[in-house]
Amino acid sequence: MLIVLLTYAVVAVVCLVGHRRSDSWAFPVSVLPHAVGFVWLVSVAPGVLDGTPLVASFEWVPALGLSVDLRVDGFGLLMGLLVTGIGALVSIFSVGYFPATTDRARVAGLLGCFAAAMLGLVWADGLLTLFVFWELTSVASFLLIGTDDRSATARAAALRALLVTGAGGLSLLAGLILLGLAGGTTTLSGLVTADPTGGVVPVALVLVLVGTATKSAQFPFQFWLPGAMAAPTPVSAYLHSATMVKAGIVVVARLAPTFADVGAWRPIVVVCGVGSVLLGGFRSLRQQDAKLALAHGTVSQLGLITILVGLGTPATTYAGVAVLLAHALFKASWFLAVGAVDHATGTRDLRRVRGVRRSAVLATGIVLAAASMAAVPPTLGFVTKEGALEGLLEGGTGWPGALALVGVVLGSVLTVAYTVRLTVGLLGDAPHDPATDHAGGHDHRPGVLLVVPPAVLAVLGLVGGLAAGPVGAWLARVAASLDPASSDGALYLWHGFTPALGLSALALAGGTALWWATRSATATTDAPRSLSTVGYDRAYEALLVGSRRVTGVTQSGSLPLYLGIVLLTVAAASGTAMVVSRDWFDWATVPLANSPLELVACAATALGAVAVVLARQRFGAALALGGSGYLLALVFLLQGAPDLAVTQFLVETVTIAVFLLVLARLPQRFSGAPDWAPLGVRIAVSLVVGLTVAGFALQASTARTEPSVAEEYVARSEPEAGGRNVVNVIIVDFRGFDTLGEITVLAIAGGGVVNLVAAARREQRRKQLLDGADVEDLSGRAPEVWR
Amino acid sequence: MTGGLALFVAAPLAGTALCFVAARSRTLQRSVALVVAVGVTVASIALLVHVDTVGPVTTSMGGWPDAISITFVADRLGALMLVIGNVMMLAVLVYAIGQGSRDEQSPWYAPAYLALIAGVSGAFLAGDLFNLFVCFEILLMASYVLLTLEGSDDQIRSGTTYVVLNVVESLVLVTGVALVFATTGTLSMAELPERLAALPDGVALGLSLLLLVAFGLKAAVFPLFSWLPDSYPAAPSPVSAVFAGLLTKVGVYAILRTQTQWFPDSNRTLLLVVAAATMVVGVVGAIAQADVKRILSFHIVSQIGYMIAGIALGGVAAVAAVVFYVVHHIPVKTSLFLVDGIVEQDEGTSALDRLSGLARRSGLLAVLFLVPALSLAGLPPFSGFIGKLGVVTVGLDQGEWWIVAVALVVSILTLVSMMKIWTGAFWGAAPDTDRDGVLRHHPLMAAVTWFVVALTLAVALFAGPIYGFAERTAADLEPVAATPSGGGAP
Amino acid sequence: MSLAQAALIAVLFSVGTFLVLHRSLTRIILGVGLLGNGVNLLILTSGSVPGDAPILGEGATDLTDPVPQALVLTAIVIGLAIVAFLLSMAYRSWTIDGNDVVEDDLSDRRIAAEPDVAEDFGEET
Repeated sequence: MLIVLLTYAVVAVVCLVGHRRSDSWAFPVSVLPHAVGFVWLVSVAPGVLDGTPLVASFEWVPALGLSVDLRVDGFGLLMGLLVTGIGALVSIFSVGYFPATTDRARVAGLLGCFAAAMLGLVWADGLLTLFVFWELTSVASFLLIGTDDRSATARAAALRALLVTGAGGLSLLAGLILLGLAGGTTTLSGLVTADPTGGVVPVALVLVLVGTATKSAQFPFQFWLPGAMAAPTPVSAYLHSATMVKAGIVVVARLAPTFADVGAWRPIVVVCGVGSVLLGGFRSLRQQDAKLALAHGTVSQLGLITILVGLGTPATTYAGVAVLLAHALFKASWFLAVGAVDHATGTRDLRRVRGVRRSAVLATGIVLAAASMAAVPPTLGFVTKEGALEGLLEGGTGWPGALALVGVVLGSVLTVAYTVRLTVGLLGDAPHDPATDHAGGHDHRPGVLLVVPPAVLAVLGLVGGLAAGPVGAWLARVAASLDPASSDGALYLWHGFTPALGLSALALAGGTALWWATRSATATTDAPRSLSTVGYDRAYEALLVGSRRVTGVTQSGSLPLYLGIVLLTVAAASGTAMVVSRDWFDWATVPLANSPLELVACAATALGAVAVVLARQRFGAALALGGSGYLLALVFLLQGAPDLAVTQFLVETVTIAVFLLVLARLPQRFSGAPDWAPLGVRIAVSLVVGLTVAGFALQASTARTEPSVAEEYVARSEPEAGGRNVVNVIIVDFRGFDTLGEITVLAIAGGGVVNLVAAARREQRRKQLLDGADVEDLSGRAPEVWR
Repeated sequence: MTGGLALFVAAPLAGTALCFVAARSRTLQRSVALVVAVGVTVASIALLVHVDTVGPVTTSMGGWPDAISITFVADRLGALMLVIGNVMMLAVLVYAIGQGSRDEQSPWYAPAYLALIAGVSGAFLAGDLFNLFVCFEILLMASYVLLTLEGSDDQIRSGTTYVVLNVVESLVLVTGVALVFATTGTLSMAELPERLAALPDGVALGLSLLLLVAFGLKAAVFPLFSWLPDSYPAAPSPVSAVFAGLLTKVGVYAILRTQTQWFPDSNRTLLLVVAAATMVVGVVGAIAQADVKRILSFHIVSQIGYMIAGIALGGVAAVAAVVFYVVHHIPVKTSLFLVDGIVEQDEGTSALDRLSGLARRSGLLAVLFLVPALSLAGLPPFSGFIGKLGVVTVGLDQGEWWIVAVALVVSILTLVSMMKIWTGAFWGAAPDTDRDGVLRHHPLMAAVTWFVVALTLAVALFAGPIYGFAERTAADLEPVAATPSGGGAP
Repeated sequence: MSLAQAALIAVLFSVGTFLVLHRSLTRIILGVGLLGNGVNLLILTSGSVPGDAPILGEGATDLTDPVPQALVLTAIVIGLAIVAFLLSMAYRSWTIDGNDVVEDDLSDRRIAAEPDVAEDFGEET
């Protein structure tokens, strides 16, 4: 198992890294891991189908229950065979398909990465393992849809697919974690055994279903899939019809037998499924671009499979697995055939395609795939559809089951109609149209590599139908891994005149009639703009515009406003504390002042501070600041801090000196810059800040519970540190590191000041030199050389 | 190892002094800076191993008893942050030397950068509250100088916002520190949990809120975040890379310490609301921007929200998630800014409307961007997924549905805006094909970026052991285990 | 802490706050200076009660707590460094555009002014 994944990884890395000179080897090489994987799966198949799954587990983050748990059971085997088998055919097809102008190594490498991730997904047993590979396939799909990244459409489609499936993935993650917590397990198999009920389980299941619906392009999230057709056709064939879009179905299939009866599971599955079946069918019928028509058809078919496996009865589960196999074969065949037609004739427009019949192999392939898709006997499509109808007719699932039956029959009618339309459109010769004959120069017979892979898949569909007995028995063993009760399922090419046969015939007749009735109806080649697409686009645009609106408010770019917010937050913090402290704090215990002189000194300092505001000139304001600072030194002194008073006095002097130095250059008066808020508001903010901070500080200063560490300092100062001035001893000895830090700050700031002043000087010199020349040009630019 | 913790601060400071002396020789300055950075990085790794296997290390300055001297303490959290910080600062130093920008040529660059190393290391190791403030001041002053080295119009404008707001932050912080001393009579961080617990309700609440405002501004949480996206983009790329990766996380580190160890079980709802608002406002801001550097800057804010959410949830599991998140986030964010530096060097701009087709020009650069970008958005199998998974799991476990919902929605919005960069700058037609494959950036820049991206991958690959370490760290921080003995858990 | 001291702290914080909320960088610096003074006073008065200077051997018995003083000494010097650096920024700002007004951030204003102009990079329009 590990070897298979490693082969993929190695080849992918080789492709992505080693493509400097030529990349024609990339696709041929990329067949290798598919082949290895396929052969390995075939070799282990007997044991696995006998009911002994292969298990591998690697611990990753045990603390989070995150490990890579892989488990190949019957269903995993089937999916693995599809991923590797179709992968191999797609790689072979790609050799002939991609022109040398494409970055073939990149596409091949990404396809390899995708295949590995997809295998991991279908083999995942760990809940988180599943999510890891799930998102990996989304990312690979994103990069592959954007292969033609010069096209804006492709970019947008890639992004849409990523965001829709990515968001769904997160929903899935939340659901899986909740299920895991509820079931006390980290694995899918453990979850099925634990079968948790009640509590969060219904919610978790809805979250899971949202995730699976996005991935499997189910209504109402189907809209990303047609857009994803911007990817090259082999990519679409592989990811967006045969494998990745089945991921949601894989999860539904594994959970449904256990949880189908819980909460809203069945109604959701059926309503979304029927919605997809009908919507996809209608859209397909109106689409002229063959590839887009197929994409809509895929939505429809995926809806059918989701309904079958989602209903969760043994019979429908079995039928779902069978339809899944049939669909993978004929739909991949269809996509590759359309790719071949496109390559050969230069168009996919049903009104313009000509001359496909010249390639007998291709034409045969198309006819066979069409027969399977329309469920015409004796193809695999027919026998599995019969099985599906049988399963649905069995009933036992209430109104959802009945609704599902009606939806599936109507869907079958639509399927037949669009299949006939596609087949006639591709194989019939459109009339010559001079306006479109530029495509004529492109006309050539498709190469053998382009026609064989689709033909092989189509023939398999026929063989599977003819060998309905053995294939059905084999599938029963596969389905038994999902639900042991499915093990008695069987497929019949003919099992008498049953209601199912009648419905099949009805669908064929009705579908043909519908095609005949609508064959000349107006159709479209536009990229589909369904309601959901419009919804997505609106939402995306609203997100962009809304973000700008919100950001316009939260990010005003205005420093004073930011400061206002910060300071108000400080006030809120202090204010809250004051309110809470009301209970124990008694204002009456606070003295007015420790001494009369202190009262005077404080008042004078405050007056100085107010004068700073009132000063209209910079010079006066600076002097007021200094005056207030000097007076503050007096307050310090009165508190018993002579060293502090002296330092404050000195520092204040230096500050004023620096101020005056700079102010000598600046204009005398303050500039009348616009204010961000009215004066009243600013004053109110200021008062709130001052009062709350001071108030809380006052409360806090009385809340001392333990003695100060200072007692130790005082005791040790003289005998151990040899100093009498305790403050000095503290700053040079006990807390010397603070002083070192403070000096560092001062030194670094000095460097910064010198740097900025030098920058300013240089600019002034340049301005003087230029003296009236184009000064603006140079302003604001730093010098080329520093020294 | 005992006795040597001060070296993590003293060595860079000595380097600063040497660089001042050697102001005339850029080569000499670079050599000093490199030697010091390599030295402290290697030493910090050794310290981390020692702390994890033997136990916390405490160094008292001047040989005085712990309670009365300034101490440096290396527990698991501190040592871990020290290692990440030093590795990142060393990487960015090499990157900057490779770039050789005008800023890096300045004689003040090396001393300021070394002082930054000293300040950051000191902040992670500080065992004394006031010394923590002093270390903050060292790193802030160094950051002021680094941000305004060029002295251009842009730098002065945005530098003013940065400096003034951080100065106010310093004032709030020192107010908080002063009131902690006023109420408890000690500055020793080891003694504080016990003494703070004895305080009346209102006082403890007020102190926790004041410190939260101060550190929250540093960490750029809502509503104190606006300065960050305005100022970081103006700095030269290497400087903004180290600011982006590291400086906000110093704030987160301080919040983590104070809220879990000193004020356990308080402010839960407040922090949750702040976390949610931070996530949303940051990511919405990112979506609104049209410049790579500004987008990345807003994402810093948004990602901080996840860490705060984890802190708010509380408990060993949540704190472990936060620790892992920080470990993952620092290299991821740094590498994104380093990639942006390369883009700016080559294309001369980081505006999305002037960039296009970068993936075509250099596929390797595209990988260098895509890996951390997806990691940031939390996509598996990258480290961001594991970080988010941790927070989300704890949130669901504790029944805080709404914060999980916000976290998941923000995660997809993060993807939106990162993919905006991808589709806008990396996809599309390359504007002029003349320079196809001819890149102007220095190979050292690419090499360092590779190294940091490889580091993020390593974080994902070895997430198991790293998460185990994060859990041990979280257990250390549990209030019960945080008794001020310094003995530590085995 | 006495009421007078608390009131002075309130005045210094209020006036400082009022000043930093201006657009002129000089006024902001003046505000930072006053806020710094307020904080220093707060450190000192909240952490110690008035008493004799903490100098031993001079017969004083009622010593005031020396620790806040040591802290303020450090804070004062750091404050000086900050003010000096801010002033050099103001000076540099003046040489660039002839004043010391702190302008709003341009990109922010652009987004706030035209919120509905969604720039779509690489998107379908």
